[in-house]
Amino acid sequence: MILSYPRRILLTAIIMSLSLLLIVAALWLPPVPRDVKIMDSIFVLDITDSMNVEDAVLDGENLRRLTWAKEFTRRTLLEMPCGAHAGLAIFSEARSLILMNPIEVCANYHDLTQMLAQINPPMAWARSSEVSKATYTAIRQAEEIDPKPSIVFLTDGHESPPVHESLFPKFQGTPGEVKGVIVGIGGKDLLPIPKTNEQGEIEGFWEVNEVMHVDVYASTRGDMAERNAQKPRTEHLSSQKKSHLETLANRVGFDFVSSPRDPQKLVDRIRDVSDTREVTIDYDLYAWLSGLALLLVLLVFLPYRWIGLGDDN
Amino acid sequence: MSALSWTSPGFFYLLPLALLPWLIHNQSKTIAWAKLLPVDPLSRWINLLLKSLASLIIISLLLALAGPYIPEQTVERYGEGAEFVVLLDRSRSMDEIFARPPLNTLRTERTRFKSKRVVSTDYLLEFVEGRPDDRFGYVYFSTQSVEILSLTYNKAAILATIRAGGLGKGISKTNIVEALQLAARMYEKEAYRGSRNVLLISDGGQILSDAEKRRLKKIYEQMNLNLYWIYLRSVRGMTLDETSQDSVLWEDLPERKLHAFFKTLDVPYQAYEAGSFEEYSAAIDDIDQQQYQPLLVVERLPKQSKADVFLWVAFGGLLIWAASFWLSYIGVRQAYRKTP
Repeated sequence: MILSYPRRILLTAIIMSLSLLLIVAALWLPPVPRDVKIMDSIFVLDITDSMNVEDAVLDGENLRRLTWAKEFTRRTLLEMPCGAHAGLAIFSEARSLILMNPIEVCANYHDLTQMLAQINPPMAWARSSEVSKATYTAIRQAEEIDPKPSIVFLTDGHESPPVHESLFPKFQGTPGEVKGVIVGIGGKDLLPIPKTNEQGEIEGFWEVNEVMHVDVYASTRGDMAERNAQKPRTEHLSSQKKSHLETLANRVGFDFVSSPRDPQKLVDRIRDVSDTREVTIDYDLYAWLSGLALLLVLLVFLPYRWIGLGDDN
Repeated sequence: MSALSWTSPGFFYLLPLALLPWLIHNQSKTIAWAKLLPVDPLSRWINLLLKSLASLIIISLLLALAGPYIPEQTVERYGEGAEFVVLLDRSRSMDEIFARPPLNTLRTERTRFKSKRVVSTDYLLEFVEGRPDDRFGYVYFSTQSVEILSLTYNKAAILATIRAGGLGKGISKTNIVEALQLAARMYEKEAYRGSRNVLLISDGGQILSDAEKRRLKKIYEQMNLNLYWIYLRSVRGMTLDETSQDSVLWEDLPERKLHAFFKTLDVPYQAYEAGSFEEYSAAIDDIDQQQYQPLLVVERLPKQSKADVFLWVAFGGLLIWAASFWLSYIGVRQAYRKTP
C-alpha cells in the first residue's frame, strides 16, 4: 500500500489528533472503580526450640528454621497485592497466640515487618511443641475474626512430646471451614535441637534422655508396648516431618507446601485456598490511555520505507 | 520535597525511540533535486522545532508511563495528645467473667457475660479510636516481655494488635515487672515529643523484690513517665487502698503491694479500680481528658503521582504537532488542487 503525500499528511494529522484525545482522556477521566480479589491471612510462626535448628536453606545459605520463617514471611508479605490483609501469630506449647489481627499489607508493611522482627524464641511461654493442637487453636481463633482469615502455618512439624499416629489429637471443627496452608520448614536429616532456658537463650542441645520418645498415652497402653520398645529413640533430634504435616493438613483441610522457594508461588497458593473477597479500588486508567497515545505517535514514525511500505514521492 | 521515584523504570529502556523522528521521514516529500527549493531558513527552523517536539512528546509519554511519583513523606506538626505504651495482661485470670454478680443475688435482668479480656479490649479500642494524634506502643508479656509494636502513629496497626489481644485464651504465667520495665525502655530510645504514659491493664498484681523495685523506681523517675493502672477487681469489695472494713486476707494481696509500691514512685500515678462497666469507662474517659498536651505529631503524606506533569507536556507538544499537520494538510491540498 502506497500513500500519496497529501494522504500521508492527513493520516499523520488524524493520528496525532486521536493521540491528543487520548491524552486529554488520561488527564481528565476520573479513576474508575474496579474490583480486585484480596485475601485475609494470618501467618503463624512456630517459635519452639526445634525451630532453632540450622537446616533451612534460603538463597543457598543454611539458616535457622525460625530465621527462614521470618524472612520468608517478610518476602511473602512483600509479594502480596495491595489491599490484601495479613496478621501475625506465634505458636508455642500447644496453642497459637495471635499478636496482630490482619491489616492491609501495603500501608502497614513497616509495622508488620517490625513486629515480625520481634518474634523470637524468648516469647515462648513453655518448652513443649504440640504442632497439631496449635493448628487447631489457630483455626478456632481465626473463626472469631471477621472476615475469617486463612491460616499460613510455618512449622517444622516436630511434635514434642511425640504423638502416636493412632492417638492423634482430635480435631473438633469441620475440616476446610477455615482455609489454610501448612508450610514445612527444615531439612531431611535428623539434627540435634538447641535447648533454650527460661530466658529463651540457647544453652547446649537437648540430650537423648531429656525428652520423651513415645506418646504419653501410648506408653501406658499394654497393647502398644512392643511397638513402643521398637521405636528408635530419636525425639531429641529434629528434621522436617513431612508425612506428619501432610496427615495434619489432611485432617484440617489445609494445603501442604514443603520448603517453598518462591514467595510469589506461596501467595498464589494462599489465594487459591482462601475465600477471597472483592474490594473496590479506584483504578486510574491513565497508564492505558497514555500507552495507547504513545503507540499512535510511534505509528507515525515507524520506518515504513525500510519494510517496503513507503513511497518515494 | 524529596526526589522523584519511578514505579516502572523499565520504560526508560524505550527512551531511544525518541530518536525515531530524526531518522524517519514519513512526512517529508521527496524532491527530485533539492536545489530546486529556495533556501528558506524559517521552514528549516520549523522543521527542526517539529522534530524536537516529536521527540519531546515521545519522551514525556514514556516518562509518564514509567510512573513518576514523590514517595510517601512525613511532616511534623504540633497536635494535642500523648504517647502511650499499652500493657495488657494476657494471663489466664483475664479469661474470667468481668463484673460477675455475686452468686447469691437474684438476677433481675439478662446480662451478657463478657470476659475481662474482651471488656478491656473493647474499651481500649474505643480509647485509641478517640485519640487521633496519639502515638501508641504495645508490649506483649508472658514470662518474657517483647515490644511487639514499637511506638507508632499507625492506628490500623495498634487497633489490630489490641484486637488480637482479645482473642483466645490467656497464658499461664505473666511477669508484670518485666513488662513495666520494657515499657519504660521503649521511651528511652525515643526523642521527647510530649507526655509519656504507661497504661497497665490487669486484674492482678505481683510481689516485687527490692532489686526490682529499685530498678523500676530509677527508670520511671528518670524518664518521668505517667503511670496509669486500670485494675480489674477480682476480689469483691476489695480496694487497692486500705480501708477500715478490710479483711485480714486482703492485706498481703499482690495487687495491694504493687499499688503501695507505685505510690512510692515520684512520678504521676493513678489507679482506677474497675468493678463494673461504668467504672471502667469512667477510668478510660478520665485518662482521655487528662492527656491533651502539646505533642509532636508526625504525619505521613501518601505518595503522589507526578505523571500528570509529563502528560501535560505531551499534551502541549501534541497540540502544536497536530495543529501544524492540519495546517500543512490544508496547504498541501490547496497546492495539489492548483496543479492540474
